[in-house]
Amino acid sequence: MSKLLEVKGLSAGYGPLRVLHEIDFSVDRGERIAIVGLNGHGKTTLFRAITHLVGWQRGTIRFDGTEIGGVRSLGEGRRTPSIIRLGIAMTPQGDAIFPGLTVRQHLDCGAYSKLAWRERARRRERIFDIFPPLRDLQGALVGKLSGGERRMVSVGRALMVDAQLYLVDEPSLGLAPKISRRVVDALMAIGLEDRAMVIAEQNVSLLTGKVDRMIGMHAGRLRGEVGHVELG
Amino acid sequence: MDASLIVYAVNLAAIYGLMAIGISLLWSSIGMVNMAHGATFAVSGYGAWYAAVTFGPALKAALGGTAFLMPAMATMLAGAGLVVGALFGLLIYWLAFLPIHDKQNFAVRSLIVTLAINLATVQVLLWAFGPRQKGLPKIFGFGRLDLFGVHVRYDQAATIVATTVLLGAVLMWLRHSRKGLEIRAMMQNAEGAALSGISARRTALPVMMLTGALAGMAAVLLSQTVFVSPTAGAIPLIKGLTIALLGGLGSVPGAVLGAILIGALEALTGIIPFLGQRYVLFVQFAFIVAVLLIRPRGLGGLLDETRE
Repeated sequence: MSKLLEVKGLSAGYGPLRVLHEIDFSVDRGERIAIVGLNGHGKTTLFRAITHLVGWQRGTIRFDGTEIGGVRSLGEGRRTPSIIRLGIAMTPQGDAIFPGLTVRQHLDCGAYSKLAWRERARRRERIFDIFPPLRDLQGALVGKLSGGERRMVSVGRALMVDAQLYLVDEPSLGLAPKISRRVVDALMAIGLEDRAMVIAEQNVSLLTGKVDRMIGMHAGRLRGEVGHVELG
Repeated sequence: MDASLIVYAVNLAAIYGLMAIGISLLWSSIGMVNMAHGATFAVSGYGAWYAAVTFGPALKAALGGTAFLMPAMATMLAGAGLVVGALFGLLIYWLAFLPIHDKQNFAVRSLIVTLAINLATVQVLLWAFGPRQKGLPKIFGFGRLDLFGVHVRYDQAATIVATTVLLGAVLMWLRHSRKGLEIRAMMQNAEGAALSGISARRTALPVMMLTGALAGMAAVLLSQTVFVSPTAGAIPLIKGLTIALLGGLGSVPGAVLGAILIGALEALTGIIPFLGQRYVLFVQFAFIVAVLLIRPRGLGGLLDETRE
């Protein structure tokens, strides 16, 4: 399998605070990996560095053969849309991102490519097949939904476009165990083929035996790696 | 209350609402307090005046004496105001958004840059057109309608109708178009919008042009009762800013409600014997300070809570 994402010597942080220290890791096509660790140890910052949402970073990030890192970030978020349009879909931590939009509009926001926008109705149906409770909530404001429903909308938005790499940040955060499992099961049911998925999660047991690899993260550094065979 | 006073208040609310909604939209979508909005107003007024001077005689020669002259003149002036306003919005986008939008403290930097653009524009207009005020042709005529016993001047009726149609079209576009969806996404969460592939640079351009066009329309409509001058945008800018603040900066429904309240307050202040027109701004500021002391989020916050 060829490498879809290759990160070398990545350090990143906010202002004077350095959160990530010399991170090296790669993701192959078809792979589903988990980055696990406690809150505040850099999982979210890693995703934000890949999508250029942090103010400062150093190191190299190659996505599908294209260098998307840089000696210095051009400014928080300036390069993010163009990096996302290369084929990276990210579900951020926490609530759905557009609480004042309806479920349908929220999902449509994810259909940024011309093809995805043209096919948005069909793609919405695909999301409703993955998350059936959303079908009856299409016209509801996202901010009025329950935590689990909001998380489904957030993941669904990322799935509206044909991304190569899915970055899913803390899918279980703030959710009841039953709902967390439902969201994770839906993520596992997504066929990857030549695409890849990286899930950041602090609840290790939720992903044990379900992903190809687990990488531990502590104090801004990656610490060890296990395959699912050993965990299972 | 005298019914004609209500018409006067709604007429003012319509014009100030165009300015306030532009300011509110800009703040909530791209995080810019546009102090050059007054300059956009003044430049658009001159654009409409220049169109009237340049093309008006030809239009009169072609359509003089027919019923088509006035609608054609109105369309030309409104079109000139909208186009010049949109183009000036484009200029502000180039000068005050593109170079600094991803820098720290963009809100403060853009406020300073747009204030500089505003001051420079007033000087350029003085240099180009001189200090003498210009009058636009009365495109709506001098008559008045009698609606259920209430006298409404043609220009008042046309202003209210034109503003309602224009704002309705803008709100429909925001609600149903793809670009409108992107703008609303940016209004709610700029970082989330970036993660959805929505570029601030691309989305800011239509917002700047749209808000510029709204200011241009306001200029043409207000210039039916006041003259065009280099400093003509100062009062509409102050009124637009205060209404946007009153409405809860960033809330379009709040700006509409704020415009109606400020319009009514202005109309009322004008007829109270011991106050009169010279106290209009004082009363408005006192009212806004009182509202913000009680409700720091402005009327927009009140509307949000009502919806919740």
